Amino acid sequence: MKDDVCIRDLEKDFGGFKAVNKLSLRVKHGEIYGLLGPNGAGKTTVIKILCGLLRPSSGEAYVLDTKVPDPRTASRIGYMPQELAMYRGLTVHENLAFYGEVFGLSKQQIDTREQALLKLIDLQDSRDTLVDQLSGGMQHRTSLACALLHEPQLLFLDEPTVGVDPDLRASFWQYFEELRDSGITILITTHYMDEARHCDRIGFMREGRLIAEGSPQELLELTHTDSLEDAFLSYSRTGGSA
Amino acid sequence: MKVSRVFAVTKRALRDIKNDRRTRVLIFVAPLLVMILFGVAFTGNVKDVRVIVVNNDTAAASSSLSDKIISNFDTSTLNVAYSNSESDAIGQVQNGSAYAVIAFPSTFTQSVEARASGQTSIPQENVTVSILADKSNVNVANPIIAAVNNAVVQTTQGQGHQPPVSVDASNAIYGANAQFIDTFVPGIVSVAVWQITMLLTLIAFVGERTSGTLSRLLASPLKESELVAGYAVAFGAIGAAQSAVLLAVAVLLFHITIVGNVFLSFGVIALLAIVAEGLGILLSSFARREAQAVQFLPFVVLPAFLLSGVFWPIEAIPEWLQPVSYLLPTTYAVEAVRSVNLRGWGLDKIYPDVVALLIFAGVFLVLATILLRRRE
Repeated sequence: MKDDVCIRDLEKDFGGFKAVNKLSLRVKHGEIYGLLGPNGAGKTTVIKILCGLLRPSSGEAYVLDTKVPDPRTASRIGYMPQELAMYRGLTVHENLAFYGEVFGLSKQQIDTREQALLKLIDLQDSRDTLVDQLSGGMQHRTSLACALLHEPQLLFLDEPTVGVDPDLRASFWQYFEELRDSGITILITTHYMDEARHCDRIGFMREGRLIAEGSPQELLELTHTDSLEDAFLSYSRTGGSA
Repeated sequence: MKVSRVFAVTKRALRDIKNDRRTRVLIFVAPLLVMILFGVAFTGNVKDVRVIVVNNDTAAASSSLSDKIISNFDTSTLNVAYSNSESDAIGQVQNGSAYAVIAFPSTFTQSVEARASGQTSIPQENVTVSILADKSNVNVANPIIAAVNNAVVQTTQGQGHQPPVSVDASNAIYGANAQFIDTFVPGIVSVAVWQITMLLTLIAFVGERTSGTLSRLLASPLKESELVAGYAVAFGAIGAAQSAVLLAVAVLLFHITIVGNVFLSFGVIALLAIVAEGLGILLSSFARREAQAVQFLPFVVLPAFLLSGVFWPIEAIPEWLQPVSYLLPTTYAVEAVRSVNLRGWGLDKIYPDVVALLIFAGVFLVLATILLRRRE
């Protein structure tokens, strides 16, 4: 199966601080790949490089067979930044319509997609509410919808579940699995280890390096642990060998 | 550059303003308030200034020249009181109950008549009206002096003494009936639009950065140039609308003179707003929070207010400071709008100012685009 993301020996240096250090990984088409690690492990930097917001210091990264940064990938990827990235003074509909227009969707396409997405995230009644007046959970769902409007092939979700209550987190993972089943590849970062069991494959990141990789089951078996958190700690102590 | 994406940005920026009542008030009500305050404060002439006349002139009342001069005083400006003692009159100025002492010498009428009949030996002080004024406020002292001068000229002309030289400034080439407010309204409009556009841009772009929307946009097919252009269209349109409202109110309330094509002046102001937007984007990158961005405002607004010829001409600014005036985009906007409003000039005559604004806009917009395009 072909890879939608391919990263080789990627390094990112911020004035002497190596945020990403000799990182190599592949995300296969149609899988949910979870990049796990504590705050400051370099997860967001990796996502930003893949979205073309940062330049690699060395090494290379390919997104949908195109070396990044390259503006041609933009219309095929969906990106949900950590900060939610919505206009708080605009309504849900106005936000969605704006991002739709930026991606070159017609008014009709926007309307059709908006209806389907609002139904998916259960926000049909809040279409004309200002984002500012939505609850935190509703804002998270709207932010996800903004990243999905243009039907991307590949989705980058940077800590989409931070500050989200357990109920909504469960339904988020349900959306992600539905999206994957419809053929969308997802690269997701999180520092909530236990929710990563929904991923098809996981990469543990620490201090800019990938210290372990595999399916949740494999990682648990290799470390003889029964939670991903313990598995991570086990790798973290040994610096990468199980 | 794709026009549909530019307009998507424009529409979004305008929606932000449409949805927020406070921003709408800032855009349309705040500058109106400023203009009305300045208009009301500056259109009034000095009135009812108390002066003490000490008339020592001994001439008979029927022939007294000093009495004739006093009767010609503009009584709306001067509130005339009398005293026989110069020291008492000076005391009244010193205790603040009067602004000036106007004194006539004892042989005034006699000396003036003797001079008129050719006697050259009369000393100058005998024909001099002396004004001992409190000059601590020149805006009060100067009208007193002017009122006395006018009365003297009027009286001597009434006596049939024509001055050897006369000056006639009653036929104006431009601005025949212009008041001070006609001169400063173009400045108020320019500075208000400059300041508010700068503020809107700083807040919008710091917001784009901190809320993550800028990241989402830069990861989308939207080009940096389209983002800059989209905001330029939005803020240019708002600037033009602001100037239309301000000029309309100035015409209705203060009857200011507009002899030129107002749409040309709206265009100039729109261009100024675009310059402010470009500079605002550049400045916004130096601020991490909105509170930090707002701190740039005094540095951008005060020089514009004081040095771009809003209230006094560039020529009145010390020569060493004048280059600063010519580095301020507002200088060109003020000059252009004033020329359109009061001189009725068209694009054929204000083009140097417009070209200057276009250069500012071009440089700032290109720099803003480059700045946004930069990737760490």
